[in-house]
Amino acid sequence: MDALPGQGPSKASHEDIRRYLQAAVEHLDHVLPGQAPILNFVHHNTLHGYQHLPFAQALEAAEKLTGIHGYLPEEESRRLYALGRIDGQDLDVALACKFGGHDGEPIRLGTRTVGRREVSRVALLFGVDSIEPNRFNWQVEEMDALRRFQPDLPQDRRAALLRGADSEAEAVQALWNACLEVFGLAHYRLHPEELVDIPMREAGTILAQFDTEADNPLVCPVNPGVHQSVQAESQVELAALLAALGKRLTLRGMLAALTGVDVLEQIRPLLIRFCASQLDEGLAAWRAPDRADGLYAAWKRCAAGDIALGHGDQAGWRAALADLPEQSVDAVIAILRHLEIPQNRWKDYLERLALELPGWSGLINWRARHPEYAANRQVPVSLMDYLAIRLFLDRLWIERLCRETWGLPGKLSALKAYFERNPSELLARTALFAGELPEYLAGTARKLIGLSSSERSQPEHWRALAEMIWAWKRSPAAEKSAAHTVYRSAWRLFRLGQHLGLDAADLRGLALEEAERLLRLLDELNPCEKGQIWLQAYEHHYREQLFAALAQNHGRGRWARREARPQAQVIFCMDDREESLRRHLEELNPAIETLGAAGFFGVAMNWRGLDDAGVTPLCPVVVTPAHEIREQPRHGQESLHERHDRRRRWKARLERVLHQEVRRNLATSSLLIGLLAPGALPILAAKLFFPRHWDALKRKAAKALVPLVPTRLAFSAAADSQPATPARPRLGFTDAEQADRVESFLRNIGLTSGFAPLVVVAGHGSTSQNNPHRAAYDCGACSGRHGGPNARAFAAMANRPAVRALVAERGIAIPADTWFLGTEHNTCDETITWFDLDDLPAAFCPALETLRAELRQAVALSAQERCRRFASAPRQPSPRQALRHVLGRAADFSQARPELGHATNAAALIGRRSATRGAFFDRRLFLISYDPTQDPEGKILEGILLAAGPVGAGINLEYYFSTVNNERYGCGSKVPHNVAGLFGVMEGAGSDLRTGLPRQMIEIHEAMRLQLVCEAREEVLADIYRRQQILRELIGNGWLLLSALHPDTGALSYFEPGRGFVPWTGGQAKLPMAQRSADWYAGHSAALPPALLRCPDHALEADSHAA
Amino acid sequence: MLLEGLALTPLPPLLAAACIGGGVLAGRIRGEAGEHISSRLALGAAGLALVQILALLVIKWLATLNSPLRLGTWLRSGGYHIDIEFSLDILSLPLAALFALLALMVLRFSVNYMHREAGFHRFFMVLSLFLGAMLLLTTAGNAALCFVGWELAGLSSYLLIAYHYDRPVAAANATRAFVTNRVGDAGFMLGLVLAFLWTGGIAWADINGASTRLQEWQAGVLACCFLLAATAKSALVPLAPWLARAMEGPTPSSAIFYGVGVIQAGVYLVLRLESLFTQAPAAMALMAGLGLATALYGFFCGLAQTDVKSALLFATTGQVGLMFFAAGLGFWQWAFWHLCAHAVLRGYQFLCAPALMHAVAGHPPRPVHPWLGRRRLLYMAALQRFWLEDLGDWLVVKPTQRLAADLNAFDRQIVEPAFGLPAPALALPGTAARPPSGDPEVLRVSGLAGLALRALANALHWFEEKLVLQGNGQNLAGLGRRLGARLNHIENLLNQPRFLVVFILATLLAVF
Repeated sequence: MDALPGQGPSKASHEDIRRYLQAAVEHLDHVLPGQAPILNFVHHNTLHGYQHLPFAQALEAAEKLTGIHGYLPEEESRRLYALGRIDGQDLDVALACKFGGHDGEPIRLGTRTVGRREVSRVALLFGVDSIEPNRFNWQVEEMDALRRFQPDLPQDRRAALLRGADSEAEAVQALWNACLEVFGLAHYRLHPEELVDIPMREAGTILAQFDTEADNPLVCPVNPGVHQSVQAESQVELAALLAALGKRLTLRGMLAALTGVDVLEQIRPLLIRFCASQLDEGLAAWRAPDRADGLYAAWKRCAAGDIALGHGDQAGWRAALADLPEQSVDAVIAILRHLEIPQNRWKDYLERLALELPGWSGLINWRARHPEYAANRQVPVSLMDYLAIRLFLDRLWIERLCRETWGLPGKLSALKAYFERNPSELLARTALFAGELPEYLAGTARKLIGLSSSERSQPEHWRALAEMIWAWKRSPAAEKSAAHTVYRSAWRLFRLGQHLGLDAADLRGLALEEAERLLRLLDELNPCEKGQIWLQAYEHHYREQLFAALAQNHGRGRWARREARPQAQVIFCMDDREESLRRHLEELNPAIETLGAAGFFGVAMNWRGLDDAGVTPLCPVVVTPAHEIREQPRHGQESLHERHDRRRRWKARLERVLHQEVRRNLATSSLLIGLLAPGALPILAAKLFFPRHWDALKRKAAKALVPLVPTRLAFSAAADSQPATPARPRLGFTDAEQADRVESFLRNIGLTSGFAPLVVVAGHGSTSQNNPHRAAYDCGACSGRHGGPNARAFAAMANRPAVRALVAERGIAIPADTWFLGTEHNTCDETITWFDLDDLPAAFCPALETLRAELRQAVALSAQERCRRFASAPRQPSPRQALRHVLGRAADFSQARPELGHATNAAALIGRRSATRGAFFDRRLFLISYDPTQDPEGKILEGILLAAGPVGAGINLEYYFSTVNNERYGCGSKVPHNVAGLFGVMEGAGSDLRTGLPRQMIEIHEAMRLQLVCEAREEVLADIYRRQQILRELIGNGWLLLSALHPDTGALSYFEPGRGFVPWTGGQAKLPMAQRSADWYAGHSAALPPALLRCPDHALEADSHAA
Repeated sequence: MLLEGLALTPLPPLLAAACIGGGVLAGRIRGEAGEHISSRLALGAAGLALVQILALLVIKWLATLNSPLRLGTWLRSGGYHIDIEFSLDILSLPLAALFALLALMVLRFSVNYMHREAGFHRFFMVLSLFLGAMLLLTTAGNAALCFVGWELAGLSSYLLIAYHYDRPVAAANATRAFVTNRVGDAGFMLGLVLAFLWTGGIAWADINGASTRLQEWQAGVLACCFLLAATAKSALVPLAPWLARAMEGPTPSSAIFYGVGVIQAGVYLVLRLESLFTQAPAAMALMAGLGLATALYGFFCGLAQTDVKSALLFATTGQVGLMFFAAGLGFWQWAFWHLCAHAVLRGYQFLCAPALMHAVAGHPPRPVHPWLGRRRLLYMAALQRFWLEDLGDWLVVKPTQRLAADLNAFDRQIVEPAFGLPAPALALPGTAARPPSGDPEVLRVSGLAGLALRALANALHWFEEKLVLQGNGQNLAGLGRRLGARLNHIENLLNQPRFLVVFILATLLAVF
């Protein structure tokens, strides 16, 4: 690595290095968060870069790289076990799944044998861990652990253990003695002082043991045995530190381990301020002068003026800055060389560097990968630029730190050589800053570092300290030695024995090897495997409930075949939040049929609303629309529109003054503040104390001020228009294209006959007041926007006679007395907006009035159902009260939880509504309509799976990861969040960007993978699985759990990768039956298991059973 | 009696804080179930305080209200006494009412916003404490009582910046803010002492009315002392950087502290001392200068800020700077009205900060003038906040730390052994530090006298050994060289600024 290829033999080699680095940076996409700027938040799999691996392996790999555990903490799983959300049977199934039939060679213990499964079960449930000496003392002295059973011992075990003994104290004491006997240990308890300070005598003894190793004490008066051991250990430590460079540490991390000083703390503000100024999308008035040239170039030109880089050493940094090459990749090469990072580690080193601020790296990576993103057109960014700046700052600060501490240049070789010569210092420093030293040693070490930061000046003191630390590591207080100890072996056996129900007699006969095997069995599962078992048990519990409900509901639901014409059909988004609304609507009027589909309703479009300056894509993120749809004023409304526009512009100007000018300016702002404050005070009071009324008033005022214009959609194009492509989108769809959309959508959801007079298409969106993560509550199928325009466009297309004629030619006859209507359901405040009612023929008005009245009732009931999960909602509210509460909640700008989003999602059902209709699923199901009887080959199902699979998995997995580790995979509490540059949230004014979901969104989420149940025959599913790579990845790797519901028999089977479909046998217990949903959930605030509803469908039950 | 009761406006919030604190300690208020107790206590207390102030305002309007209202004596020593008195005049009452109202609103906001936060009760306790402090600060009738409120406000602001004390950044920033504020305290305390010495009392009336007794330079010095206090509290240049670090707390606390409360306290102090300042033209000029510098600092930095909280914060700094500027020019009334208006609007803006992005998306702010837009150096200066913090570090913090380290070393190596204190620091039983065998230490002494005796014995021994017995005196030259090197070293040390400063200070102390 010392040869510089760039100046060396050939220019090509330098090119190779550049390509290699570029590829390395390219590859970072797999490990960095893939979250878009927060205004465009769309749910995605947090570990998207690992999706090619099986779930368990992926989580293990991610943990290895980032240190983030991807499963619920064990205590949380145990809490769920205690709550009954996981039961013993689930755990048994998961353990059986892990170990298969192999229970290992059983260990004979007295009268019984114990296998690995039993031991692992104890380890999972009770966590039989070694204990620290001081906690052991506490257990013995305060908890009376040697005279009483462990407090977490189940009652039956307790009783069994007591059977053979006179008293509890005696039984426990005997057990403890047996444990000590097995390992040949004497019981002793360290005096509390010995725990914090190994006495001089003891240290002397430990050191003296090694005195004897000295060959010739006369030659070397001080202790050569110990000294050599210290040196050897130090060498190992140094080697480990150097080996970790790039793999686990950057130079910054290495120096933090050696000096306790984290240079990133000082670098971060400089780095973040500049990057944020480059990425900003509309907060700062003043931005870097050369921003159009890219991050690195702009920074390089500005940095010359940043005296914060100097810090006294002016000459050095200016020269270093001047030496930087033009291209960021060359700068990276130059600095990596300067720091002397071995070339074969560069890739890892850059990865490590990027992961030190994953939020910023991730956003920059996202911007770099979306060149078409609007902000990128003005200010391009690249990840290499960012890394170059980071490396340069690192270089300056590392140099300074090394000079100040040791007088060394900030280069790897210098550090290495120094610590080879000063082994005691290395040992003392690493031990101190790893935080493992007891207080008396840590204090001494700190004092020594304060007095002489280098071993060069007071070698004998450093040596003495290193030897002390070395001795401490071998004392019982450190619990580092290899032999059996009371705390590690006897205590664990003691606890394990109790939980296995073993008494002293059982243990006494145990050979040492057997006991060791027993303890090894306890450690057999690593944390990831334990997490996986808990997860499987958790999922198993829910799956059993879900399957039982589906099995017992088979044949009960209406509209499996539309023999009669439904009174109305309402097509909702597949969203889990719509499940309650659909259920309540059906309960209210069984003659209504509800359906579900991805909320863009097959119309992928660029949307331009009446007041919009540009277009917004409304479709899943993976699609780029080729068509534009515009909202236009209706004929004859031109003058109104003009007034609307004038007033709106006026309002926009006012808002600009309010939001931007009032903080941007100095003198004029102070006048503005004086003008605005008298108004602001009562408004603030109204917003806080009467949010609902204020919101209503505000709406009214807005309406009066800016009059609403009746609008229509411009969505048609002439048949001979030029073809529409994503690169050159066209305004409107041709008739044929419209017919395509309508036909394929209707076929997808299986609505090809039996059209009701009114078919309502309901998109959805969410409104909330003070919520940076607002887009996360909106429709995922519309790129995190409101889906109303899609519903409206679809309805308008389906109403056109020309389109209907074309569709009829293709075999779907939409009767003339059927009318489509577009609406939008607000999932936060439960309001429903209707579109294009002006076009509705008068004949449909009575039907519409009925339906609207029913929907009004249904949303109130749905609000009531939602309220049971809100802590601040009234307990057991009436539907009216509940509706008022959610309205107020949505309008309240102090509310950090306006709604709970997808927090309850757990499963998805692709199939007819009849499979789920009549059962309560607690808003946990994505419901996607699909009729297997119309799709014998599975072509339609294939399309649905391809669209809904990744979307459902994205939502579910984002919730999963944000829940299991909210601090690292999620973005923590909303409370300290601070919006940066309109693209993300930071904590305070200079932290990493936080990605993932905030804690307020996941509090009630049950972290498990999505159960994807398809109403289809296994063969059909297996064929699709074989054909589609993306499904093989998601399902085969266990990111989604697939199962099949037989369309005719209702038999269930679940897919196991490698085994195929396994028939489900379970659910013997009868599901509870409730009259209506409200009866089942009333008074409950926690998650509820499914129940069957004796809803008015019951009249049909007999018919369908007969059929 | 009724009036006295009414005048005790800080009491309800302080009691609420004590109740919440006590309830949490006693385990009565705990977790989610106890949230409504904490929030009701805090809201009720704030409401009560507001009612009290409004009642006082009504009384003042309808009848006459003695100001200051004396309730008793706090301390008395010789001719000096500190009373418990409240000034209920047209400056303090409206401000107190405003603070109470805004605090009430922020508390209401926090009930939902802070729901299920681990520090919910702590938050409400500190917010109540803060409100009590602000009311005490504004209604105190003398500088000492005001100082108590001043300190309590500083303390509560420290506690809320460090609300997430598990995050090292938050804790460090809180400490930084706290320490910066102590600079202002020094000014306040000095002001108190000088006021006692020169005017004989510390009631506002004494300080303000002492103009006749004070010479201009005395008034100037006194005013400057209080100006220093205001500079730290209101984060004026050069003590501005702490404010930018204070954004670590939850959104509502940012609103109440930096939009509404603490930052305006400095303005209140100079408004309160209007008459004193009018007698000290130099102090007025200084105030105007600081105000202008701060306004420009806030303006330029604000233009370059890319996160919502910082952008609002620098806008605040700019406006507060303007208030000082106006006061410095003698527009006291304007400064007062601006203070009130600004508190309201900025509080509102901070509370709405999370939603600002949705309001401004697609409507970027007006860009700066192209001429300014091209200045790279100026841009970097604005982005890095004119390096005020680095300068502070470089000029004050680092030298102080080094000096402390030096003194510490001096303590350990010279003072402690000299006084025979146990020296546990590096006495390690490691083999390397063991005394070499064969040279047992016969004489064990401790304490100064013992050491002196031993040193004498050793010196005589050495003298005998080296000079008398060996007699050739060769070592003498080497000794001289070593001594010379040591002296050189000391001289070098003295050349370093920090020692020079200490040296000068020591000299000054000796002279006075």
